[in-house]
Amino acid sequence: MTEISKLAELRKLMQSMERTLRLEGLSPVERDIYYAAGELSKTEEEVRTFGLIEHTLVKDVSRPTFFRALKSLVRKGYLSQSSTANRGRYIVHAPGK
Amino acid sequence: MRSLISDTFWASLAYVVASILTFEVLMPLQNAFFPEFASRASLLFLPHGVRVLAAWLMGWRAVIALLPGVFIVFAYLGGADVFLPSRLQSIFVAVVSAPAVFHVLKVLGWDLFPRPDRAPCWACVMVAGVLSSILLSVTTNMAFGSEPSAYFAFLIGDTFGLLFLMLGLFYAFRFMRSAN
Repeated sequence: MTEISKLAELRKLMQSMERTLRLEGLSPVERDIYYAAGELSKTEEEVRTFGLIEHTLVKDVSRPTFFRALKSLVRKGYLSQSSTANRGRYIVHAPGK
Repeated sequence: MRSLISDTFWASLAYVVASILTFEVLMPLQNAFFPEFASRASLLFLPHGVRVLAAWLMGWRAVIALLPGVFIVFAYLGGADVFLPSRLQSIFVAVVSAPAVFHVLKVLGWDLFPRPDRAPCWACVMVAGVLSSILLSVTTNMAFGSEPSAYFAFLIGDTFGLLFLMLGLFYAFRFMRSAN
């Protein structure tokens, strides 16, 4: 392994740490929505807002809090709005990507 | 050969710098804030982090790469006593324990060594670091005939040392990224 590739591996290791820390940096509601979105995205590539609101992890969250957290997740890069479909559909991204 | 010389230079330099930070900066702070803690063990032993990360990156080559640095630190702390059989045994264990743990884990089917085709797992490296610390603590303290409390102090110091070194690197990489 060259010096550069050792540095690259170290940097990758630190990125894995960053992913964990960034996930821990989410609020409890944001984390629940992100987990719910992650679960829903296993069956469908795009996650619908309606499906998220109905998810067990999220259904007790008030609407204003839900939409605030959803917006925050988009801003932080964990979710992005679908460019192909109409509004209300999201694509889930791995943290740090 | 050139690569091994370069690895040896950087790994040993990192070990010496981490040791100086630990013994000249952190230990005096520890003694000032926790004077009741009688053990000579550091509760934040950064060199363990260097040992574990070097072993993770280089495998068995880390034994050679770390040897000069570990020897220099033992000589700095113990003077001519570095040639006592117990000290030489400790030096040997200090350089061998982390690569041995990574290789044993690999043989057992848990390969943690970096590979270009997969993302590394920092928590897994931490686990290997703790296992390496247990191996090191048991063998070193047996050589010195230490009190049982010293085993625990070594384990805490090594684990926090590895964690804080990784956090230090984490913020260093973030700083470099934002500076660019």
